[in-house]
Amino acid sequence: MPIRRLPPDLINRIAAGEVVERPASVVKELVENALDAGAGRIEVQTEGGGLARILVADDGGGMGPAELPVAVERHATSKLNPDADGGYDLLRIATLGFRGEALPSIGSVARLTLTSRARGATDAFGLTVDAGRLEGPFPSAFPGPHGARVEVRDLFYATPARLKFMKSARAEDMAIAETLRRQALASEGVAFSLDLDGRKALRLPAERVGPEGRRARIAALLGGDFADNAFGLDQTREGLSLTGYAALPTYNRGSAQHQYLFVNGRPVRDRLLGGALRAAYADVLARDRHPLAVLYLDLDPALVDVNVHPTKAEVRFRDPGLVRGLIIGALRHGLAAAGHRASSSVAGQALGRFRPGFEPGAHAAGASAWREGGWSPRAAAPVSPSLPGLSGVSARAEPWIGPPDAGVPDPQDPSVPPTQAGAEHPLGAARAQLHETYILAQTRDGLVIVDQHAAHERLVYETMKAQMAAGGVARQALLLPEVVELDPADAERVSGRAEELAALGLVLEAFGPGAVLVRETPALLGETDIAGLVRDIADDLTENDAPLALGERLAEVCSTMACHGSVRAGRRLQASEMDALLRTMEATPLSGQCNHGRPTYVELKLADIERLFGRR
Amino acid sequence: MKLTIERAALLKALGHVQSVVERRNTIPILSNVLISAGPRGLALSATDLDMEIVDETEAEVEAPGQITAPAHTLYEIVRKLPEGAEVSLSYTGDDPRLQVRAGRYKVNLPVLPAGDFPAMPKDGLSQAVEVETEALIRLIDRTRFAISTEETRYYLTGIYLHPLVEEGREILRAVATDGHRLALADMPAPAGAVGAPGVIIPRKTVQEARRLMEDAGETVSVQVSPQKVRFDFGRASLTSKVIDGAFPDYKRVIPQGNGRVLTADNALFAAAVDRVATISSEKSRSVKLAVEPGRVVLTVRNMETGQAQEELEADYDGAPFEIGFNARYLLDVSAQIGAEMIELRFADRAGGAAMLDPVLVLDPKDAASQFVLMPLRA
Ligand SMILES: Nc1ncnc2c1ncn2[C@@H]1O[C@H](COP(=O)(O)OP(=O)(O)O)[C@@H](O)[C@H]1O
Ligand SMILES: [Mg+2]
Repeated sequence: MPIRRLPPDLINRIAAGEVVERPASVVKELVENALDAGAGRIEVQTEGGGLARILVADDGGGMGPAELPVAVERHATSKLNPDADGGYDLLRIATLGFRGEALPSIGSVARLTLTSRARGATDAFGLTVDAGRLEGPFPSAFPGPHGARVEVRDLFYATPARLKFMKSARAEDMAIAETLRRQALASEGVAFSLDLDGRKALRLPAERVGPEGRRARIAALLGGDFADNAFGLDQTREGLSLTGYAALPTYNRGSAQHQYLFVNGRPVRDRLLGGALRAAYADVLARDRHPLAVLYLDLDPALVDVNVHPTKAEVRFRDPGLVRGLIIGALRHGLAAAGHRASSSVAGQALGRFRPGFEPGAHAAGASAWREGGWSPRAAAPVSPSLPGLSGVSARAEPWIGPPDAGVPDPQDPSVPPTQAGAEHPLGAARAQLHETYILAQTRDGLVIVDQHAAHERLVYETMKAQMAAGGVARQALLLPEVVELDPADAERVSGRAEELAALGLVLEAFGPGAVLVRETPALLGETDIAGLVRDIADDLTENDAPLALGERLAEVCSTMACHGSVRAGRRLQASEMDALLRTMEATPLSGQCNHGRPTYVELKLADIERLFGRR
Repeated sequence: MKLTIERAALLKALGHVQSVVERRNTIPILSNVLISAGPRGLALSATDLDMEIVDETEAEVEAPGQITAPAHTLYEIVRKLPEGAEVSLSYTGDDPRLQVRAGRYKVNLPVLPAGDFPAMPKDGLSQAVEVETEALIRLIDRTRFAISTEETRYYLTGIYLHPLVEEGREILRAVATDGHRLALADMPAPAGAVGAPGVIIPRKTVQEARRLMEDAGETVSVQVSPQKVRFDFGRASLTSKVIDGAFPDYKRVIPQGNGRVLTADNALFAAAVDRVATISSEKSRSVKLAVEPGRVVLTVRNMETGQAQEELEADYDGAPFEIGFNARYLLDVSAQIGAEMIELRFADRAGGAAMLDPVLVLDPKDAASQFVLMPLRA
């Protein structure tokens, strides 16, 4: 068998297989190029999920007629410079690109058009590469004083096999938007815009470079909520600097998708990050919850190898242990400080230990005890057939939760010895109601304060969800199904959760890109602002990964319903009612946080109290 | 300006106009009623900028003139005057206030100049069409219950009144829907109606117009333009903006071939729905109808209070099926049926699919109204 040297266009096509996996990778490469060219604003437009057309326009330094043809040549780059001896150093890469592969790869599988005016030049030039065939450069029109416009049409038309593997246009749109978001998080000084099929998907003004601008950019991309629920990080150790924001434990999500790490401005996916976050939050967050975090690691380029992966998404640290230690240390420090921040009284030191009792995992000691006892809030605890926190706050609720012999203590009756409830129940035995708003309970090794209203609201929501899952909620079919316009990513998110929403009484389906069609609404809501509801849900899905708005509205309706005496703040509760509420909370997943992410209870360990009084 | 009028006549005139005046107003003059004394007697006008009502009544005018005074206060005062009292209203240059006198009672009310009172332009309105009052009342009463209250779908927050020609017949039609149910009522188009634009009459206008129809003569003269509607009831007239929006293509949602017909005694049906729904406190009390030959079984299930059931004789001879409804919607529509019997027409599709198809409700004695109800799924 003869061994053949492959022709260059085939080489490029093979490389394209690695470099341009999908439209989002093209966007990533082109945006990186724009950033490397010093752009102050970057505009991205796509059509048909990026397969029909991608345009990336920047106002960077641009290229002249001599550079243009070289740019689309394989292994040609302006980003690596030989030293005096003609040697190249791959260990000192300060740009996003360096492989010189992106443009030729793209040009080999699509119709690529490059137009550019170099900084200081009067004339602009363009060239095209159509499935590897170069034409140009030729004089061309270019809007703006300098910069480059790269247009990619009919991506993968030259490799039909790859085309077959493309997901729906909306899935590609989402990936493109996510790519741009990631990069935008790292480049706050650059303005970004994204238009998907002519619809505005992203508009980010340039922020001032620095922590303030970064904060604004993060808020714009991850929601102001995150900014409000996060603490800042700023630590330097042995030439490594870590800055950024991480969420308070109460602000978390069910997936680790929203954890971002940027190494020298390059978005990277590194398992090290997930591990470090898990370690840092171990005693304040349940295992299956994930804090949001946006971390920027800046270090001497020589200490990190970015040449690991064709898409440059992975890096290798010279000393991973040092990086991991730095991240964990900074997070722990930040978490502790955030704890103090919450309670700034004289006894702040000890009161800092008043932790939002978000989930069983939130209790360093408690968590393990509960698990050992075989109690897990996620285990399929029998769900009350009635609304807990409403009718569930009655003796009726007890047999299926606590041990049947867990007598209800009467706090007013001294003849009743303190029960062992504290030992058996993670939330302890109710001892008193304070200000007709808070329930004080004694646990085996501490005390728990419950915000009765917040807890109740949560229970209503959770029960309703369970009830609905069991098919218990009526949905009103609509005479005129309503089309709700959303941005494509939101529409995708919302229709992707159609099943879950249907269980909550909202029946909808995808309706072209960027819209959903609502066919049925929860009957409980009566006539309702459907578009508003769907938009709120889309926001919730983006921000909280859960359709809280729907549950919240339902809970609101429910709790105003006369028959269900709702446990609002300000209502006096019987001891038995309080205990039942605690038991129901224990049996209800996610009951540690109210619908707004605030804790429903806080716990103070005996040890903390002792510290408070200087006994330790 | 000076005039004298019998208390009952003034009270009626004020009653006609004052309900337009919003209780809380940021523009002071909108709290006032415009009082005009002229050769034809007394004219009162009130407006909320979207709607204007003018009432004309006889009065003894000593000196013609115009002024505005607080509507609600004036109404309350006149209401409390003794029956049969002669009321005099006067505004002279000497006292910058409106003097109201009746027997030994007198009061001065603050005024605002008549020139500042916003008049509603009446340009562009069509030729007046005379519509029988009874027939117009029927159109409104048959449909208004279905008007949407959801402001985000503003184009549904009124009655769509429009002329049309259907199967060669000229019809004036009223339609209202809140997206869950739809009500439609027809009358033969009065002379001159066909060709006029259709208008969506806002809920508040419907309500005021309906109220004024109680005191109207045999006919109401109606004028429309794409922006406005005007009703002339004889002594009172109402001019209102209409909703600026497109009413959806309602014909599309009126089921055509619903072939499973159930007929039941309307009064018994409503009473049964009401009874079974009592155990549910929700707004959307969901009633399940299990339809089978000769009868329908109504069931309401409540998580807390249990289950209520009632069986009702019904004329039906198709395959058995089940379907759910909002109890209130059933009661609302049943209240529109004048006949002894209520007719429900369900989609022919078998099984669960039909559970989501619109249901047509008819009055066997009134072919000129139709109601569509969307089912509820539990
Ligand atoms: N938007 C741009 N503005 C200016 N120059 C660009 C732009 N895009 C690409 N180039 C030039 O083309 C070269 C090749 O780009 P590319 O194939 O992406 O490889 P790399 O980015 O790894 O150098 C770059 O090194 C740069 O000099
Ligand atoms: Mg590049």
